[in-house]
Amino acid sequence: MKVGFPHGGNIYIPLRTLFRELGVDCVVPPPNSKRSLNLGTKYSPEGACLPFKLTLGNLIEACEEGADLLVQARGFGICRLGYYTRIQEPILHDLGYDAEVMKFTLSENFKFIGILKLFKRICDGASWLRILRAYHFGMSKFRDLDEIERLVQRVRPRELERGSANRLFLEATHAIDDADSMSSLKRIKKDYIEKLKGIPQDPDADPITVGIAGEIYVVLEPFANMDIEVELGKLGVEVRRKLSYYQWAKYNFYLNPLGINEWRAVRKAAYPYLRRDVGGDGWESVGEKVLYSQEYDGMIHLFPFTCMPETVAQNIMSSTKEHIPVLSIACDEQMGKVGMLTRLEAFVDLLEHRHCQKRRGTP
Amino acid sequence: MPQIGIPRALLYYQYYPMWRAFFEQLGAQVILSPPTNKDTLRLGASRVVAETCLPVKIFVGHAISLIDKCDYMFVPAIRTMEPKVHNCSKFLGLPDMTRAVVPEAPPILDVDIDVDKGKRELSQAIYKLGRHFTWNPLKIKRATEAARAAHLDFQNRMWTQRRTPIQVLKEIFPELESDEELIEEGDKTIALIGHPYLLYDKFVNYRLIHHLQRLGSKVVTPEMVERQEIDAAIIKLGGEAYWTYEGEVVGAGGYYLDAEVDGVIALIAFGCGPDSLMISLVQRYAKHVGKPFMTLTLDEHTSEIGLLTRLEAFLDMIQRKRRVGFPV
Repeated sequence: MKVGFPHGGNIYIPLRTLFRELGVDCVVPPPNSKRSLNLGTKYSPEGACLPFKLTLGNLIEACEEGADLLVQARGFGICRLGYYTRIQEPILHDLGYDAEVMKFTLSENFKFIGILKLFKRICDGASWLRILRAYHFGMSKFRDLDEIERLVQRVRPRELERGSANRLFLEATHAIDDADSMSSLKRIKKDYIEKLKGIPQDPDADPITVGIAGEIYVVLEPFANMDIEVELGKLGVEVRRKLSYYQWAKYNFYLNPLGINEWRAVRKAAYPYLRRDVGGDGWESVGEKVLYSQEYDGMIHLFPFTCMPETVAQNIMSSTKEHIPVLSIACDEQMGKVGMLTRLEAFVDLLEHRHCQKRRGTP
Repeated sequence: MPQIGIPRALLYYQYYPMWRAFFEQLGAQVILSPPTNKDTLRLGASRVVAETCLPVKIFVGHAISLIDKCDYMFVPAIRTMEPKVHNCSKFLGLPDMTRAVVPEAPPILDVDIDVDKGKRELSQAIYKLGRHFTWNPLKIKRATEAARAAHLDFQNRMWTQRRTPIQVLKEIFPELESDEELIEEGDKTIALIGHPYLLYDKFVNYRLIHHLQRLGSKVVTPEMVERQEIDAAIIKLGGEAYWTYEGEVVGAGGYYLDAEVDGVIALIAFGCGPDSLMISLVQRYAKHVGKPFMTLTLDEHTSEIGLLTRLEAFLDMIQRKRRVGFPV
């Protein structure tokens, strides 16, 4: 039996680790590429959103590499995501792959128990202790990677030699992926944090800050958003991003059932404009704009083309009292990197101009 | 007497009798926006971002046409109508979105309908809505009962007499604009599936029903299928219902593809999230059973001539299939 799963940011690292620790054969589909996108687009309904097409491409590529058990998310009351498996499963069957699709339900209150049960079902025979241990190791990798990424976001706009932080980050990702014990993971993390702090930085740098919000998949999948964070770093912009899969897992698995919600302040900020959850990350996008309008110089709102929650958010965002420049980018398979770079450059120029004016004190 | 404006779009086609009974029982007067026209769409589309789907653009246009014509505007946020069957985000955010894009609109009365949360929450939400008009809980309760009765009567008339919502609405409220009667005979039977706000808005679909009848076909719609048949068809095609309006698309599609009709036409709006995936289920099944099936995607650039050409080609194909007995 071989397990396959779709990509989504760096979610493959903890999953690969977990399955390795549990002794389950797993296929990590090749990273998102033009090919996965083309495959996904070819077999998807034309109006489906980008995450649907990309994850379908991943599942097809996983099947090509011999996966016969696929893990995909589902749920109720979120958005189209809950409906994905219902369409993707028959598409895969039509293509001749008779892989079983296992669904992880996102709308449950106790997702932690759900995911442990899922692993138990996948590796029949492993003890709960072993599953918990593997889970802990995977989550530790996830946490360390998240921490390093936050540091990289700070270093990128300040480094003297452009690209060095990013190079280190890629190295760190590989090293963490390969780490085989908790002690080596700790060493790797310490190493890279030191190295990142050692990168020569411009002491007078006063980078503008841009918040990235929107639909979680396109915000966190570099292929879907054309590496927007790296490109912004090259333009000397500090990226702030509240969304991350690690934070999502941490809160959804342990803290939300206890009544602690990381989005409480954000949702409260959105309340005057949007009073109810509209599914997906729509509520949070509006809230982030309102809450951080003083803190950030500008915001980039990323969402898949025709995304329902984000369309509602986008309509509401433009009318809030708290004003901050927002660049809305709809991601789909037609997007070109050069076109996006042009828009980013124009946006950053505008923000820099405003930033200078603010510093000089003129309105 | 307070005047409540109701936009003639989206959920109007399913719940107008219910809403009207509720507000009239509470002593309010209901003002309906005029039927969709070119300006409705133009004004609506100018307020919202381009990616918003056509029905929502039209809804916003209707909301604009109610400015200065009423004291309040009623825009409900309907999350679930049945347990675990959710609505599209655009319906959930509708009151907030209308408030944001039409800031000069009269105060918006919103109500959160969420059956999932339980009966208590639901009656509390309705009570909160009724409090705008009266302090007397009994009066609100009476209005709720009247609304319920009106809704059941409306549905009953549709299902038992196999008629479209427009016809039944006209029957209940004679002052409403009239619609062509459905013709009972025709040499072919064509099933139309899709949301009521696409099927029955003559402006949006360029009088599709009229054209189909003119070309000699009898038209049947999702409202003419029994509730149990719809549920059975949803299970047949893909499992339990996930979207609130899955019955109109997947249920009716699955039913008609197996029924005695010559072809099925699906009407969907460009950029509609639920439709984009639901329609692929129906498409797959149509391929499986080998019945003529066509999807018409509507947006603000759709032209009547283009639509007619496709319609004629579709009907010709059915005709030829019948003549030669050739599988399509």
